[in-house]
Amino acid sequence: MTAVRRRTRSERRSILLTALAVVVAALFILPALWLLSGSLRPSNEIFGTLSPVTWRTLVPSEVSLGNYLALLSGPFGRSILISFAVCFLTVAIGLVVSALAAYALSVLRFRGRGAVFAFVVISFMVPFEAIAIPLSQLFSGWGLTNTLLGLVLPGIGNGLAIFNLRQHFLSIPTSYREAATVDGAAEPRVLWSVYLPLGGAALANSALLIFLGQWSAYLWPLLVVSDSSLQVAPVALARTFGEYTFDFGQNFAGAIVLSVVPALMMFVLQRFFGGLEIASGEK
Amino acid sequence: MSRSSSAVSAAPSGAQRRLGASPAPRRQLRRRKELFWAVVFLAPALVAIGSLRIAPTISAVVSSLYSGFPGGVRPPVFSGFDNYLDLWGNEAFRETVLRTVVFNVIINPLQVAIALLVAVLMTRRIAAPGLWRTLVFIPAVVPIVGSSIVWSIALRPDGPVNAIITALGGRPQPFLTSPDQALASIMLIASWIGIGYWMIFLISGLRAIPSEYYEAAKLDRAGPIRTFFQITIPLLKRPLLFVLVADTVANFVLFVPIQMLTNGGPQNSTTMQMFNAYRTTYTYSSKNLGAAEVVILTIIMLVFVALQFRLLRDDDRAAKGTS
Repeated sequence: MTAVRRRTRSERRSILLTALAVVVAALFILPALWLLSGSLRPSNEIFGTLSPVTWRTLVPSEVSLGNYLALLSGPFGRSILISFAVCFLTVAIGLVVSALAAYALSVLRFRGRGAVFAFVVISFMVPFEAIAIPLSQLFSGWGLTNTLLGLVLPGIGNGLAIFNLRQHFLSIPTSYREAATVDGAAEPRVLWSVYLPLGGAALANSALLIFLGQWSAYLWPLLVVSDSSLQVAPVALARTFGEYTFDFGQNFAGAIVLSVVPALMMFVLQRFFGGLEIASGEK
Repeated sequence: MSRSSSAVSAAPSGAQRRLGASPAPRRQLRRRKELFWAVVFLAPALVAIGSLRIAPTISAVVSSLYSGFPGGVRPPVFSGFDNYLDLWGNEAFRETVLRTVVFNVIINPLQVAIALLVAVLMTRRIAAPGLWRTLVFIPAVVPIVGSSIVWSIALRPDGPVNAIITALGGRPQPFLTSPDQALASIMLIASWIGIGYWMIFLISGLRAIPSEYYEAAKLDRAGPIRTFFQITIPLLKRPLLFVLVADTVANFVLFVPIQMLTNGGPQNSTTMQMFNAYRTTYTYSSKNLGAAEVVILTIIMLVFVALQFRLLRDDDRAAKGTS
C-alpha cells in the first residue's frame, strides 16, 4: 500500500520535472525555430508576423529556398568558400603542429619536458581576443594583412588540441614504439606509422576543436582583412546585416548556413569516430 | 609510466653489456637523439607561441609605453606611464572599466548558476532527457553573429518579444535602444548562447558523482535542497571552477554583439573594455593608447581569474579541514 503510494508520488514528481524541462527547452529553442522559419520565407512575411505573436510567427505560409539562393549567389557565397578554405588549411597545418608537439611531449624523454608542456598549454590558454589587436599590428608589419595565410596562422596553435593528443599518445603502450625502433624506424616514422594510425578519435577531436575555433572567428578576420573579396562568412554576414537591415530573410538564412556547418561537422565526426569529448574539459 | 618504459629500454642494453658493447655511450647517444627529435618536433609549436602569443604581448606592453601622434606620420616617442595616467584621469575610461567589472560580476555567476540548475534538472528522472538537453544546447551551435542578428530583430520595439510582453498585459520595452536596458539585453543574448554550452560541461560533471553519495543522503532523509548544497555543489567544485573561469574569460572579451548591435551605445551604456580598445585602436587610430587599454583589460581579467581560483580553492580546503 505505502509502496504504491510512494511510486505514484515519485511518478508525479517525474511528470512535473519533465514539464519543467519542456518549458526550459522551449525558452531556448523557440528563438532558433523562429530563425529557421524566417530563413524559409520572404522578408515581408517575417515583418508582417513580428507582432502580435501568433502561430503564424513560427510557421511560414509557404516554404521557399529563395533567401538561400539569393544569399549564396551574392558576396556571401564567396565568403563561405573562403571560410572553408581557411578552416581546412588551419586544420591541416594545426594537426601537424599539434601532433608533432604532442608526440615530443608524451613519447620522447628529455629534461624539462613537464615544464615545456605546462608552458605550451598555458600560453595557448590566454584568450586570443586579448592579444588580437596588438597581433594584427604585427601582422600588418609582416605583410600578412589581406592574405589567406594571415587568416590561417593564429588558428594553428591550439593548446587544447595538443593536450588531447598528448593524453591519447600516453595511452598507447610504449612497447609498440620499442618494437618499431628495434626495426630501425626513426622518430618521424614511429609517429607517422604507429601513433597517427592509432590516433583516430583524438585526431578527429583535435581537428574539430581547431575547425570550430576558426569557423566562428569574427574579431580576427575583421582586424586582418579589409578587402571584402577575401572576407570570411561571419564578417560578411554581419556586413550584410548592417547594410540591408531590412532583408531579414537573407540574414536569417546566413545564420542558419553558419550554424549547420559546425553541427554537421560534429555529427559526421561523431559517426565516424564516436565518443567525441567536446565537454571533456574536466578530464 | 616512464619508469616502466625505461626498464624495457634498459633490458637490451643490459644484454649488450654481457656481449661486451659499451653501454654508457650508447645510452647517451640515444638520449641525445631523443633530445634532437624533441627539439625538431617542438619547434613549430614553439615558433607559433613565440610569434603569435609572446611577441604581441610584449609589443602591446612596449607600445603602451610610447605616445603616438594620430595619423602615424611622426614616429611615437617614449613616454613611460603617460598613457596609463591619461586613462586613469579619463572619466569615460574609468566608467568603461567599472561597467566591464559590473557586467562580469553579474553575468558570470548568473550564467553558471542557471546552467547548473538546468544541468541538475536534465539529469533528474524525466522523460526523454536527451531531447531537452539537445534543444537547450542548440543555441550554442548558432555562431554569435547569427544569434546577434536574431536577437536584434526579436528585441526591436515592434518585435516578437514586445508582442509577447504586450499579450501578457505588460508595456513594450525599448531594450537595445535604451541606455538603461541595452547592457541587460546584451547579457540576455550572451546567456542564450552560453547557458546551454556550460550546461554540457556541468552535466558530465554531475554524471561523474558516484550515486552512493545520493543514496547515503536519502538514507539520512536529506531533502533535495540539502542534498544539492551538501553533496552536489561540493562534489562539483572542479567542473564549476572550470566553467566559471572559462565563462569569465569569454565574457571579458565579449565583442560581437556590441560591435554589431549597439556600437557601444546608446550613450556608451554598452561600451566595455574589449570594444573600447578596438575603437581606440581602429576608429580613433590611437594605437599606443589602445595598447595600454589592452594591457589593462588583460590584467583585470587575470585578477578576476586568480580571485576565482582562490575563492573556490580556499573553500575546498576549509571544507576538508572541518570534515
